[in-house]
Amino acid sequence: MANSQAQSQNKKRSGISDLAKQEERTAMWLLLPTFLVLVLVAIYPLGRVVVSSFTNARFASSAPTEFIGLQNYRDLLSMTIRELPLEVDDNGNPVLVDGERQYESWVRVLPREPNRYRAVTEFSLFGKRYVLGATKAEFVLSIWDTVVFTVITVLLETLLGMIIALSLSAKFVGRNVMRTAMLIPWAIITVVSAKIWIWMFQSTRAGFFNSLFNRLGWTDGTTGFLTEPSLQLPSIIMIDVWKTTPFMALLLLAGLATIPSELYEAAEVDGANKLRQFFSITLPLLTPTLAVALIFRTLDALRVFDLFQVVFGERRYSMASFAQDTLISNRDVGLSSAASVVIFVILFVFAIFYIRALGVDTE
Amino acid sequence: MNKRTRKIIGEVFFYLLIIIIFIYLMFPFYWAIVSALKPESELIRTPATLFPETITFQNFRAVLSNTRFTKGLLNSTIVASAATILSLLIGSFAGFALGKMRFRGKTPSLYVILAMTMFPQVAILAGLFAVIETVQLPTTVSLVLSYLIFTLPFTAWVLTSFFKGLPDTLLQAAQVDGATMIQTFWQVLLPLTAPALVTTGLLAFINAWNEYLFALTFTATDPSAQTVPVAIANLSGKIARQEPIGEIMAGAIIVTIPLVLLVLIFQNRIVAGLTAGAVKG
Repeated sequence: MANSQAQSQNKKRSGISDLAKQEERTAMWLLLPTFLVLVLVAIYPLGRVVVSSFTNARFASSAPTEFIGLQNYRDLLSMTIRELPLEVDDNGNPVLVDGERQYESWVRVLPREPNRYRAVTEFSLFGKRYVLGATKAEFVLSIWDTVVFTVITVLLETLLGMIIALSLSAKFVGRNVMRTAMLIPWAIITVVSAKIWIWMFQSTRAGFFNSLFNRLGWTDGTTGFLTEPSLQLPSIIMIDVWKTTPFMALLLLAGLATIPSELYEAAEVDGANKLRQFFSITLPLLTPTLAVALIFRTLDALRVFDLFQVVFGERRYSMASFAQDTLISNRDVGLSSAASVVIFVILFVFAIFYIRALGVDTE
Repeated sequence: MNKRTRKIIGEVFFYLLIIIIFIYLMFPFYWAIVSALKPESELIRTPATLFPETITFQNFRAVLSNTRFTKGLLNSTIVASAATILSLLIGSFAGFALGKMRFRGKTPSLYVILAMTMFPQVAILAGLFAVIETVQLPTTVSLVLSYLIFTLPFTAWVLTSFFKGLPDTLLQAAQVDGATMIQTFWQVLLPLTAPALVTTGLLAFINAWNEYLFALTFTATDPSAQTVPVAIANLSGKIARQEPIGEIMAGAIIVTIPLVLLVLIFQNRIVAGLTAGAVKG
């Protein structure tokens, strides 16, 4: 008797575990296609990129591919800082132009052997003038430009997105029209919005901004917003901010909707003004949404490609457009792969922060 | 100043702010429409006119007779639809397993998929290009497959959270009735996720329609497979002259209108889908 009872209990237990095992097997089969695709289109190509970043591989070249170790990385990331000497005349006196001291050109101070260094940027520190040189000045500059682009666009988008979200969270006539209008910049293809803005930034008065600024008497109407180096980044930042602020505003709006209105009513009763309410209720409760949106946008901005490629082509690069151009125009698979790996590492570090901040809710 | 006038002034400032925001959001699109409707002579006139003096559809006719552009529209439709359907299919399997089943390795799987939603496409560009050159797939097919790298993790991730939201009792009831897991999935759960499928599908489609990096790179050797973003970026006029601004703007309007219509029809769903992943976490 006791024996058969134990047996049936055993049976029951193994029945449950059979069911669990079956569930496990079904789950594996359901997940298989996804992971197969991811291995095929992501993991394997990534492996190939890592391998070819250590070679001198080129497209459509008959020369044999060889392993060259870290040479590609050395080419991309070699940098040096040199002091620029004062320009002196034949008598050894400093040359003055408009009372300003002049410095020698960087060509004289940056090393040329074994690899030629070119200037990335010049800067002054403690009354001395320095130059930052790199063997691949375009790539180092592209990292710098991408980081500046990312920091400023994300900052502006958050501020503007917050203003728009707060305005739209109030009830008013035409609120639905505004919500729809917000989706328009988001729905326009990036390449198309870049083309529209290039046309608005046209360097003659046929362009909108030159027409406007000229009418206002600010400029002569021939400003090269996209060709003048100091205006290039601000202009492209304007385009990106216009395109992505609505996305930020939508996320923040959804976050605002989760804050219970009783909190504001209670604050009203306690006599807290709107500003106080914002800083003690809205901002703290919006922090999780804000953090996610910030990191999400940062990752997106760091891999910017479309805008830089369409607006600047080969005149100025983002990290991604440098890697793409090196691959397609120069057919330099090795160097492009090394650039890709550098980008991947930069983004990976960020993504880890993202996942840590967001967490994965498994149950 | 009494309380009432202060309230009115506040109201006026509020609406002023709303109007400024509205103009900021809409103006570039308005400028594109106006430019597309202007004849060439008015386009190059200085200063630019805020309202077109003569309205012409010649730019639209020109761009629609440009085979590069129309072929691009066709290619984009094929590639974006195929990538969307494939990722909905594969992604809903994964979403069901991750959202409703218990198995070992679930947490790492979720981490992998979340990490994949942030995968930088440029990191695998050279590798994918090499694979495509070796396998010699038609460019359109390789575009569809490569688009899965961003549409699939996204759909799988969003659908997982939708499946998780469905009540467990449904699953249990179906099992009591003797349905297998797969039957439960096809006949009970999938119909319930139809709204979620529409939302994620729409977002995946828009992302694929937008894609430029892979499209530009992989069609470099095969211009006949160019998608619409590549075609617009490289649009040249019939007669060799400067950039055909009017035609580019007309093309911009043509590719934007379908998306704007989709967005207008499904706007609540889109907002829900965009915020689902981010706000709930």
